[in-house]
This record gives sequence, structure tokens and C-alpha cells, in this order.
Amino acid sequence: MTTPVETVGLSELYAAHRLALVRLAVLLVDDQASAEDVVQDAFAALARRSNGLRDPSAAVGYLRVSVVNGARSMLRKRRTVRGYQPPRTIESVGPEDRAVVAEEHREVLAAVKRLPDRQREVLVLRYWSGLSEAEIAAALGITPGTVKSTASRALDALERILKDREGWS
Amino acid sequence: MNDLETRLTAALAARADLVRPGDLSHVAPVVPLRRRWTTPLMVLASAACVVLVLALALRLADTTPKADPAPKPDEPALVLPPDEGRDWTADDLSTPAKLDLDGDGIKEKVEFLAEPDPDFQGRTRLQTTLTSTGEEAYGMAQLGSTIGTTALDPIDADDDGDQELVLYRENLDGGPGALMVPLVFDLRDGLLVEAQPSEPNSLVAGYLPIAGSQTTYYDMVRVASYWIENGSLFSSLSVDAFARGNMTLMRPESYVVDAYEWRLGEDGILRAGEPSCLVLVPEAQAPCGSGVEEGFVPYINSVATEAIPEGEWVDFDAGYQFRAAVEPGQPPTLVVDGFDGQELRFPLEVADPVVSTLQPISVFSDGASLIVTSSSDPTFVQTLVQAGDSLVSLVPTGEIALANAGATRTWQTANGALVTMTGREDGSWTAWSWQMVSRTEMSALPWGTVCFDDVDDPTTAHSC
Repeated sequence: MTTPVETVGLSELYAAHRLALVRLAVLLVDDQASAEDVVQDAFAALARRSNGLRDPSAAVGYLRVSVVNGARSMLRKRRTVRGYQPPRTIESVGPEDRAVVAEEHREVLAAVKRLPDRQREVLVLRYWSGLSEAEIAAALGITPGTVKSTASRALDALERILKDREGWS
Repeated sequence: MNDLETRLTAALAARADLVRPGDLSHVAPVVPLRRRWTTPLMVLASAACVVLVLALALRLADTTPKADPAPKPDEPALVLPPDEGRDWTADDLSTPAKLDLDGDGIKEKVEFLAEPDPDFQGRTRLQTTLTSTGEEAYGMAQLGSTIGTTALDPIDADDDGDQELVLYRENLDGGPGALMVPLVFDLRDGLLVEAQPSEPNSLVAGYLPIAGSQTTYYDMVRVASYWIENGSLFSSLSVDAFARGNMTLMRPESYVVDAYEWRLGEDGILRAGEPSCLVLVPEAQAPCGSGVEEGFVPYINSVATEAIPEGEWVDFDAGYQFRAAVEPGQPPTLVVDGFDGQELRFPLEVADPVVSTLQPISVFSDGASLIVTSSSDPTFVQTLVQAGDSLVSLVPTGEIALANAGATRTWQTANGALVTMTGREDGSWTAWSWQMVSRTEMSALPWGTVCFDDVDDPTTAHSC
């Protein structure tokens, strides 16, 4: 006889992971309002799953993938409408926050924003989420080898951008 | 972790930490997670479905033989390029492409080596040396012609930081609207491999015929296009279909399309994203709903009203040059003096002719052409064209009549088109434009749907 497995409660997931997911999303889409939208959509998608998710770790992984995909869609949509709407200035922080983020961080964040989406995602998942190459590969739907090469290229590109901007080496 | 990684980690953490718990907006979780089949409504719906499926299965089992399921179309497979053509040379008119194929931030130079062929229709070898490794990379393309190969802007369709090469295949013998196909080459395992669209006929530019729309003088086509914007590949397909015939496409200047962005998967397959609505206007485009006009009226709302005064000569300067006059008589005679001194005479069929001072150049422009109506009979419309040393009256043929009464209205527009409106049951009208289809005949091609505030006043035409 098997023991029934409890379906993961959305409320618990929401309480435990919403903040971290919004922080992940804000590193990908730059502004908090968009980040909250992306995360809300991710929870909505999870709620729509017909069979729910019984494994909490799987649920978190599912949400992470949804957030990355949602962030990518949002960035793509912004680019697609670039020519038809006033370009939206995507600031990493609001005026009140600029005083909080140190100058050195701002330079790095600005450089990260200039990276292609895939490179940016890999760096965020690796250096902020602390995921392994295998976990990043699963989250992005690519091979671990691609994660490795993308991260390497991203760091090279980041270094070049920073050198250009500030003569940093 | 080196200095850069340490600095990156600190910066990301600093930015993320700016989002504090108290900053989050107060929104409720969407719904509690619950297996759908456990909700009362779903239980009822599921039961209904089960009954329906069972009933359908029993019915089919009774009446139809079992059929094999339709084969699922396979996605296209990648083809590795053969290592041929090292000794081919680049055509003088070809321009090497420069793009960052390997993502190291330095652009490679890709040369296009042409396969020798008397018709210049051989293959093209794509040849480069990767800046990151110094290794050679090559690919093979069939572009339709080896003359003047030039790449389009590079794209990064998989967001991996390197760029894909975009060429295009054209059908030089296909005439207007012949399909052009963009070809995307991705560096895979040291080779420039042609990515394959998941649906081969959906990433093209040109006219796509609507199946079953062919008539004697035209068929209906949708207009497909593709473009590169901001490093991404897009395609579009017009929502409406337009008549194509007589070397003419009856397309308005602006029209609405479904646009798709193409993304490159790890498997080398290009797949289209969700469609978005765009309005294509000359030299620009805009999203639907952004305030740009989305309903378009063919240019039918202007009327040519000037007629040749009785007993006077009128010069026709636009297009073929001649002068014309109406000689009084029973019946009156139309006289045309060509710029080459040739005189054409045509006995008119009505006693009170009205001969327009504007040539119907959309019908015929290789000689004199005139529109004749009657001041007393609004139903009379006649198109005369020069055939050698005489004028002939074109015989209307095809789907509609050349008439001007009731639910069929005909006039000449201020830019020389001869148009007819045919009424529809819902109160709208189909606009048609007449084209000469043989030495003695003309036929009308559909030009779109219009509505009128007052059908007797063409200037009140508007989109429906």
C-alpha cells in the first residue's frame, strides 16, 4: 500500500518563494513591476496545471523555468514593439534606490543589461541563484555544455564591456 | 571565483536585495492548487465527456471501418554540408559577410565561393576561419544564383550571444511575387549548418495563392514577407487575400498582417512564435491598435468628371499622347489624332456622348484609350482602345458586367482607373477594377470591400 502524497499547497509555495522569484525576475527584466507580473504569471501557470505538482522541489523548479521564460517573453515583446512605442527606459533601480546601490554595482549591472538574453540568464542563474550547470541547463532547456560555453562567453563579454566603460581590468 | 565573478555576484545580490518583502504588491495567490478532476464542475464535465466519447466510439464502431491514424508530419532534419568547392572562386559581385559566428566578440569574414555553372545557378560554398580557434568552418547553400551573393543582417535567433548568417534564395525566373526564402546558417560543431524552419512554406516572401481561388483572369493570394529587426528574424502574412492577375496585384498600399518572430532551437529548427498583429504602411509598420488606420479603402472615391466639349479638341498629355474631339452628326464621331499624325475615327453609339478627358490608363496605356458615357443614359459605359489604325470597343468579360444601374455602379476615378462596385446583401460593396485581358476584351479584378454613406456619392466611401 502506498502512502498518498500531498499536493503542494500554492499558498505555501507563494509565501516561501515569491520574494526570491521576484528578485530573480527583477535581475532579468530590470523593473520590479514587470518582475512581479512575471512571477504572478508563473504562479498562475502552476495553478492551471491539471495535476498540480506533488514534489515541492519540482514545483520550485517549474516556477523558476516559468519566470525565466516569462522574463524572456517580456523582453522580446519590448524589443518587438521598439519601433512603435516610445522606447521605454529600463532602469535597474529607481531614483530612490540609486543611493542604495553602490557605484561599482551599477556599472556591473549596466554591463549585464547589455548582454544577450541567454547570456544574462545564465549569469543570473549561476551567480545569483547559485544553480549548478545541470540545473541551469534544465531551467533554460539547453545542454550543460551550452551552459558552460555561454557562461564563458558572457563573462568575456562582460569584461570587455566593463573595460570599455571604465577602463577596468 | 575571480575578481570579475566576485564583483558580478555582489552586484546581482545588491540589486536583488533592493526588492524587500514589504515592497511587494499585495496580490492574492491565484487559486489553491487542486487537481482539476476533484472540482465539482470538472467532475460533471468529465462525466459528460466520458458519456460523449463512449457514444461516439460506439457509433463509429458500428458504421465505419477503422482507419489508420494520419501520419504525423516529421520535422525537417538538418543536413550537414559536404566539404566541396574549396577551389571555387567568389563572384566579383559578391560581398563577403562579416559577423560574429563563434561569439568571441570578433567578427568572422565569410566568403561566398561559387560553383562553376554555365547558368550561374550552382551552389555556393560558405567559407570562413573562426577567430576564436583559427579553425576553418564551411557550409553549402543553394541560393538560386551565384552572382552577387550578399548576406542580410546577421541575427541571434537563439540568444546565445553569437550570430547566425542569413542569406536568401530567390527565383529569378518567377516574375513578380515569386517566392524568396531566407536561409539561416548556424555554427554547429564547426560547420555552418542551414537551420530548417519547422514549417517550410511559412518563412518566405512573395505571393501565396489561396487554394481553389483561381478564375479565368485572376487568383487570390496572400502577401508574405520577412525582415530582420534588432537581430531577430520576423515573417508576416497578410490577413486579407488580394486578387492577382494580368501582371497586377490588387493590393492596397497598407494592409494588416500576422507577424511572427522566428526562434532557433538547440536542434537547429526555426520555429515561429505567437502571431502579433501589425499594420504595414509604405516604408513603415505599426502594431494594430496603436492608432494607425487599419481599414483601407481602395482608391475609388474620386470621380473623373471633365468631358470633351462639343466641337473642341482636347490634348491628352498623360501616357500615350494624342488629341481628340467629338464631331457632331448622326451619330457623332469620335476623332483621335495620334502624336504620329495618324487619325482614328469611331462612330459613337449614343447621340449625346460624354467622352472623358482622362485616359483609362489602368485598362490600356499602349495607345489611345477613352471612356464614353451618355448624358441621358446613365447605364451606358464604353471603353475604347486603339488597335492599330482603328479604335475598338472592349467587350467586358468575366464575373461582372460593365454597368451603372441599381446594385452595380461604374465610374472612372481621377487617376484613370475604371471601377465598378457591386452591392452585397449586407449593404457593403465589392470594388472591382477593370483590366484589358485580350486585344478585344477586358475583365474586372476584385479590389476590396467598401461601404458608402451615400452610394450615389463615391466620395463618401469608407472602410466597413
